[in-house]
This record gives sequence, C-alpha cells and structure tokens, in this order.
Amino acid sequence: MALPLAVVWSQVAQQVTSGLAAGAIYASLALALVLIYQTTNVVNFAQGEMATFTTYIAWTIMNHGVAYWPAFVLTLLIAFGGGVTVERVLIRPVEHRPELVIVILTIGMLIAINGLTGWIWGPEVKAFDSPFPNRSVIVGGVAISIQDIGTFCVCLGTVVVLWLFFRFTTLGLAMRSVAFNPDASRLMGVRVGWMLALGWGFAAALGAVAGMMAAPTVFLDPDMMLVILIYAFAAAVLGGIDSPVGAVVGGLLLGVVINLLGSYVDFVGQELRLPTALAVLLLVLVIRPRGLFGRVVVRRV
Amino acid sequence: MRRWASPVLQGLVLAAAVVLIVLLPRFTSEFRLGQFTYVGIYFIALLGLNILTGYNGQISLGHAAFMAIGGYTAAILILGQKGFELAGHDPAQVIPEHGMRALFTIPIAGLVTGVIGYLFGLPALRLAAVSLALATLAVAVSFPALAKRFEHLTGGGGGLSLPLPHAPFGWDISTPHWLYYEAWVTAAILFVVAWLLVRGRVGRAWRAIRDGEIAAVSSGVSPAVYKTLAFGISAAYAGVAGALFAIQVSYINPDTFPVTLSILLLASVVIGGLSSLSGVIVGALVLEFLPIYAQAPPVLHLNFAKQAGPVVFGFVLMVIVLLVPGGMASLIRRITRPLTAALARKA
Amino acid sequence: MNRALLALAAVLAALAVSIPGAFGRTLETATPTATPGVTSSSITIGGTFPLSGPASLYAPIPRGMEAYFNWINSRKGPDGRKGIRGRQIVWKYYDDGYNPAQTVQLTNKLILEDKIFADVGSLGTEHNQAIRPLLNDRKIPQILVATGASYWGLQHKQYPWTIGWQPDYIAEGRAYGLWITKNAANAKIAVFYQNDDYGKDYLRGLKIGLGAKKSLIVSEQSYEATDTSYASQLARQKASGANTWVLLSIPTPTVRALATAKALNWKPDTIVINSVSAIDSVMAAVASRAGPEYVNGAISSGYLKNNNNPKYSNDPIVRRYQALLAQYGPSGADSKNGFYFYGFAKAYDVVKLLYNAGKNPTRASLIKATQSMNWVNPYMIKGIKVKTSKTDHFPISQLKLARYGNGTFSEFGPLIKGR
Repeated sequence: MALPLAVVWSQVAQQVTSGLAAGAIYASLALALVLIYQTTNVVNFAQGEMATFTTYIAWTIMNHGVAYWPAFVLTLLIAFGGGVTVERVLIRPVEHRPELVIVILTIGMLIAINGLTGWIWGPEVKAFDSPFPNRSVIVGGVAISIQDIGTFCVCLGTVVVLWLFFRFTTLGLAMRSVAFNPDASRLMGVRVGWMLALGWGFAAALGAVAGMMAAPTVFLDPDMMLVILIYAFAAAVLGGIDSPVGAVVGGLLLGVVINLLGSYVDFVGQELRLPTALAVLLLVLVIRPRGLFGRVVVRRV
Repeated sequence: MRRWASPVLQGLVLAAAVVLIVLLPRFTSEFRLGQFTYVGIYFIALLGLNILTGYNGQISLGHAAFMAIGGYTAAILILGQKGFELAGHDPAQVIPEHGMRALFTIPIAGLVTGVIGYLFGLPALRLAAVSLALATLAVAVSFPALAKRFEHLTGGGGGLSLPLPHAPFGWDISTPHWLYYEAWVTAAILFVVAWLLVRGRVGRAWRAIRDGEIAAVSSGVSPAVYKTLAFGISAAYAGVAGALFAIQVSYINPDTFPVTLSILLLASVVIGGLSSLSGVIVGALVLEFLPIYAQAPPVLHLNFAKQAGPVVFGFVLMVIVLLVPGGMASLIRRITRPLTAALARKA
Repeated sequence: MNRALLALAAVLAALAVSIPGAFGRTLETATPTATPGVTSSSITIGGTFPLSGPASLYAPIPRGMEAYFNWINSRKGPDGRKGIRGRQIVWKYYDDGYNPAQTVQLTNKLILEDKIFADVGSLGTEHNQAIRPLLNDRKIPQILVATGASYWGLQHKQYPWTIGWQPDYIAEGRAYGLWITKNAANAKIAVFYQNDDYGKDYLRGLKIGLGAKKSLIVSEQSYEATDTSYASQLARQKASGANTWVLLSIPTPTVRALATAKALNWKPDTIVINSVSAIDSVMAAVASRAGPEYVNGAISSGYLKNNNNPKYSNDPIVRRYQALLAQYGPSGADSKNGFYFYGFAKAYDVVKLLYNAGKNPTRASLIKATQSMNWVNPYMIKGIKVKTSKTDHFPISQLKLARYGNGTFSEFGPLIKGR
C-alpha cells in the first residue's frame, strides 16, 4: 500500500493528464446517458452500441472520400435521425410501462446493434481519423497530445452548447419542462411526444461525438464502447444521473482516479483498476444514492 | 391470481412436463441430451433470476458472476489442494486438502453463493433500479479481473480442469445420462422450492414490495429483510447452476462466464415471462437453442452469417417486450385459455 | 392447490421410479469395430474456431483449411486417387465465440454427432486446454492445435493424444531476448504484456533469451481486456527511460498501445512486436494513426512465408495458394489476409499426417504419425523443417526474425532454433 518513494511530480501530472483525456470520453458518453434520462427517464443501455454503430457509419462515409468535418456533420445528422426513429418506433410504445421493461428493451437493442455492427463491418480493427494531429506538446515535462486536448475541448464545448440550448432556446425550455412535468407541459401546448423524440435524437448525436472522439485512440472495433459504456455509466451515476455537470465531473474524476490507483497503489496495480474504481463508486452510491450532483429523488407511491 | 383454468389442469400440465423430461433421454442422441442438460442448468439460473427480477422487481445484470462463484466453489472443492498441485497450480491454504465428490459440492456452492449474494444485497438496498443495474453489471465486468488476481484460488487465466464427470457410487449409468438427471432432479427440487416460496407469505411480501415499496411498508412488510432475502436466494440458485455448469463442462476459467451471459440471462427471463415460473422453461430453451438456430434456421434453408445469433436474439427480445409484455408464458396462456375454458365447460 | 401438490408429489415419485429404467441403457460406445470417422470413401475431421465475436479475425483459418481440403478432394494425389488414398476429407468446424464452455459443448457435438476421426487445429489456448482431458480420455487425437502455448509439447506424458504445431510463445520470446543481447547489449527494455498465460509465457521466454542480461528489463507493465486506455501504464514505461519496447499483446491492444506511445511523445529506438500481432493490417492501422516511424524497423518473427512480401510474389507456392483460394475458398476471400495462408500451411501438414496414418488409418496410427513428422512444408520459410520424434513433441521449433518496412515484414538473419 505504501506510496513508492520516487513519486515524481511530473509523472503524477502525466498520470492526471492522461486520466483527464480518458475521462473526457467517458464524460461525453455519460452526457448522452444523462440527456436521455433527463428527458425520458430512461437509462439507455444501448447508448454505447449506438455510438459505435454511428462511428462505423462515419468511417464508411470517410472511406468514400468525404473530408472529416463534412463527414462529422453528416454522421451527427444520421445519428440524430436514428435516435428520433428509435424513440418513435421502440420506446414510444413502452413509455408508460415500468422502468424495468424499458431497461430490458434497451438491452435488446444493445445485443442486436452489437451483433449487427460485427456482421456488417467485420471484426478487424480499423484506424479512425482524427481532426487533431497526433503530436504532443510538452509542458513542464508532461507530454500532452493535441488529440487529447482536442477531445477535451470538444467534450467541454458540447456541455456548453447543451447548457446554452437548454437555458436560452424555446425548444430547450420546452424539453426541460417536459422532463420536469409532462402533464403540465401538455396542457401548456408543448408537443410532449416530439420533445422526447428530440431528446433521444440529441443523445444519439452526442453518443456519435463520443464515439468519433474515442475511436482515434481506442480504434474502431465492434466492442469498442462496451467497456467505455460501463465507465460512462459509472460517471453518470457518480455525478448524479440527472445532472449534466455531474456527468462531466464524474467522467473526469473517474479517469484520473483510475490512473492514480493503478500507478501508485501497489495492491491495486494495473490488474484491479476497474474493480477498485467500481467498488469506490458503489461506496459513494451507498453513502449518497443520488450521486454527487443529483437531485433528491422523490419516490412514487 | 388464478390464471389457469384449474389447479387440476395445472398439475396435469406439470406432470406431463415431468414425464417428458424423464422420458426424453430415450428419444435423443447423447449430444442432444447434453444440450438438454444445459437447458436444465439455465432453468435453475433463470428461476433464481426470476425470483429477484420478476417477483421482487430488482434487476440484476450480474448473474453470470454469481454462477461463476458457484462454479469456482465447486471446482475448488472437487480438486482440493492435491488436485491443484497435480494440475501444476500453487493452491491457497484455505482450500481443503482432499477433493470432494462432485455431487456434494453442488449444495455447498449454492450456500456459499447465497451468502455472498445476501451480503451483496445489503448495500444494494440503498440503490435505485438504475444504480442497481449498474452495480450488478459492474460485478459481472470486474469478476474476470478478480478471478485472475487470486490465482491460488482460481488457477488464474488458464483456469481449472476438473476430472471428467462420472456417475457416483458406482452406478451403472452413462455419463451424459447421469449429468442430465443430476441437473434435472436438482432443477425439479429447486422448482418446487421456488413454487412454495412464491405462493407463500414470502412471495406475497416480494410482490408487494415490487408493486410499491411504501405501500408494502405500511402493510407491515420490511423491504430490507425481503429484498436481501430475494438477493440471497437468487444468488444461491445461480450458484447451484454454476456448479452444475462447471461439472458438466469440467473446465472453468474467467471467460467461461462472460458478461454477455449475464445480459442474455436477463433477456431470457423476460422472453420467458417475468413472474412466471413456467415461462422459465421457455427462457432456458431459448437461451440454449436460439443462438444455434439463428445461424441456420431449420425450416427456412437459409444460412445466415455467424454473427446472426446475437442479432436475432436482440430482435426477439425487443419484439417480446413490445408486443407480448408477459413473455412467452403469457402467449402460451393466451392460446391455451380458450381451450381449457372449453374443457372446463364440457366437464 | 393441494391437489396440484399431490399431483406433483406423484410425478416426483414416478420420476424416482423411472430413473432406474434409464440405467439399463449403456449408450457409451459399445466397442466400435471400425475407426470412428473413417469409411471406405471418407474421413471426417473437425475443429472449433471463433467465427463470431472479438476474436473472429481468426475466422479465415478454418476457411483456408477448407479451401485446401476441397482441392485435395478434387485433385488426383501421388497414388492417382482423389482425397487421401481415395477417401474424401470431410471438414466440420464450429463457432465457439472464443468461450471455452462453448468449445467443450461443440467438441462434444463433433465427437458424438459428427463422429470425427480427430480434432484438428482448434484455436485458442484455454479452449484447447478445456477439451484436452475429454479428447484424451476417449483417445481421440487433438492435433496441430492453433495456439503457441508450450503445454502441448511439454505435457505429452500426461496427454499423449495432444500435439501442438507452431513455434511456442516461450521459444519466440527467447528469440527476441537473444536478438537483443546480440544487437543492443546496452538496451533498456520495457515490456508491455497481456495479463494471462499467453503474455506471461512470452515474458518468460524473453527472460530465458536474455539470460544473464535479464536486468536490462527496466519496466514490466500489463494490461487487462477491460482497459480502455493504456496511458497510465505507458507513461510509466516512458518514465523508466526504456529505449527498447517489447509488445506482447494481441492485435487491437497493440495498435492502441503504439498510438498511445505517440500521444505520450515516447518513441523507443527499437520496437519488438510479437508474431500474433505482426499482421500487415495491424501495422497499417498503426502507421496511419501513430506514424510510419512506429512501424518501420519494428522487429517480429515468423515461420511462414509472408505471402504479401514482394520477395515471394513469384514463389510458386504463394502463386498456387492464390489460385486455389480463388477457386476453392469462400467467395470474396482476400488472399492478402495471412490467416488464409496460415490455414493452407496447417492443412498441408494435416494432409501429410492423414497419409502417413496408413492405408487403414486408426486414431493410434495417426498419433504415431505425429511422432515421426519429418518434412519440409513449402508454405514455410526455406530451411524450416517440420520435425518430431518420440522425445520431441514440438512440430515447428525454428523461426526467423522479421523487420517491417515498405508495408510488410521481411525476414532477416539466420534460422533460430527455438528449443
């Protein structure tokens, strides 16, 4: 358990930096989970697989000679359309059924989409382009890759855009009101059904961003999001499943803590990083079930 | 709730099922018999999961990990320190010196897993449905890393090879037959236990908690007691199934109980029908046979890609959730009800 | 409800009574007169492979073998007859999804339903380990398994019906160790390995090869399948000041690790990549994300001809492989994929063994044939001999180092004897 004597400051900083980079990816997928939860009160277990699928679509588009940013935007649009369709076709009919049923439906989606991805694109690992160069800058002995900085900025940028959207646009306000009280919103003339579908669409697009940011470092592979989803879940639950800020903080925290645990706690080592992080998470949940930033849940009688 | 026409008919159907299970070995090949042994093993695991999820409303995406705990318990007891050393492993001191007869390890595996499940149920009490799904999934995902880390107990990533199964006490019965009856007699016993539990006071308490915790409290049911009890019993079922699985496969390593199995177990419970003990058999059949037949459907003469299995599984699950809320059990009920009603009228 | 209970009790009693009825049937192989899987016109062999899931990049192996067997079945052999001495090869292979429990179930299917003569070339270390006791117990040959673990050769006494094929991981790791001591005597080595028997076998071999210079290793870090980022491990390897990096990882982690090293601005002078990951598609992915300097000059090893190397573009065997794969392989098979070539090389030795098992092959005669292999497999690098004896149970134990450049690996240096 003892900390090794040679804790070099620059090495700790390096561990923290790379932890933040990994955490940014968990955070963006966590944000997608939170978005869906906020608007529809559903935890989407297929979020990761939807992200993987759309990232493969982006790969296919770019393979046809389309440049990165046009392909990026096109992918977001496709993802958005896909998200809306999923909500309308699959989620709508079970909207009023117990939470368990909806969770299981998304698990069905997880299984099907994961299989479909492997079926269509095969198991070979594929390189995925990044808009940011894979060089690094050195700050005080710490190497920070421009790719990581870019990912980080995109992630933060998304949060800001989302916040602005929900805070200052009519549509955002309508969506928030639906999440808060669907019946009252309906009476006010908000088209509740479409708001929920939009929530799914935005979440799918957000997932696509997460996938496209993750793919340059984890590489395209049908299972690439399976474990990231677990981290994203952990991040979202840690932050409070209904809090976007919580999701981001949770994601970054998780990335950093995992790196430091693996490097400086001998018993944990590289092998037990994931179990330890999850155990810590459980502990947090037991002490504070609503997470760090979550609202108090009022239980239905 | 009286869903079936009459208890007599219910008994008859059950009797028919038992007769079918008993007589099946006479009509199938040895390999098919092996497949039906797996059906029996999955049947037990799904019974346990249905108690937890169907009757008590607690979700678990970690039942493969509980199966793994049962499997490892059985494997460790069967081998003993001597067996570990023979296989070139360095055994932990806690392992008994001599191996045990495989049959006796099954209840012990159930007990050990049950206790672990009960303990896990304590913190789980504090978790809402979503967090619980995550927590159990986390257990399933972490299990392989833990199993590898404690190599003296588990044989590490290379796993443990068990002696090939044989019928005990010098009984003159072929191994596949023995394993088949071992699994199904255990399944029958556990089915009766589950049936008695679900019909009785405990089951009423479970359902009351599922349908509304606060209402349950006000009618004098303690959610803490009954929820942890459900977790413990459910885990014990998974542990028994895991032990039978390890004995049947005669090998165990961290990959034998992958996370996907946890997910498919939950899916199968839903396909069979939540809170329906008879639906569990459908779930078990689906879990064993659907992945095989999805690749090459028997009637259609199509040969889909190998990846088709999971895709079909996922779609079947979605269709069931969307169109047949009660699962296959309710579908069967819906088909048979007019029939039984007609029979009742005649009588 | 009581009546239902009564009914239940009655059936349970019936169950108890009827079980003894089943005892009478002893299904287990009533001493077969003929060898299972062998008829006058056919010989049935089978194996298990990951055709779906994350390990399914190996799926071309059994399909390559299939193409080769199809050709053997349709051409006239040296004795003027098609197939093996007039018997057609029937090749059954199933998808175990890389789950050992599935491997066991499907191997039972191969034994009981397909009645195979031998289990041939099944893939995966744990997977072969899981089925080894049951095949040996039934005295069914488990030959030329597709894994580089060392047990197959080392534990011959315990499991005489099992034999490996390719050079084992220890032998390969040793070759890298030897090369480093010779060519970079002052190297500081960082090892990145998969935390399981595969990674650890390699590491052990590397240390054997380094011998007294074992202390050159300054950093050992492992990864788990559940790691999504290796930055933590690699930052420490970078900090160790290592200039030689040995990657003992499977394909996807290898690509990730190299790209992560680039992101950390760490470029070791020498990069060694184990043969499992030394695949051209892996190297291309690295080159595109981390840059060509991370692949060019990388050291690996091989024992098969590299069918993508210009050196072999006019090699008659490589030419024939391309033609046969196009004619007998699955439609759309990419002959550049080295796993098809691996399948051909394996199938060549399978056919040799089936011939050598004699006019009336039995399982015992097949195993006997595996103990006196001694030939040149034309799919392998020149000079390598497939050789076994009563005391040597490693069919291929020579290999050559290879260096990456111009988009593919080129062998160099002398043949290295692995054991």
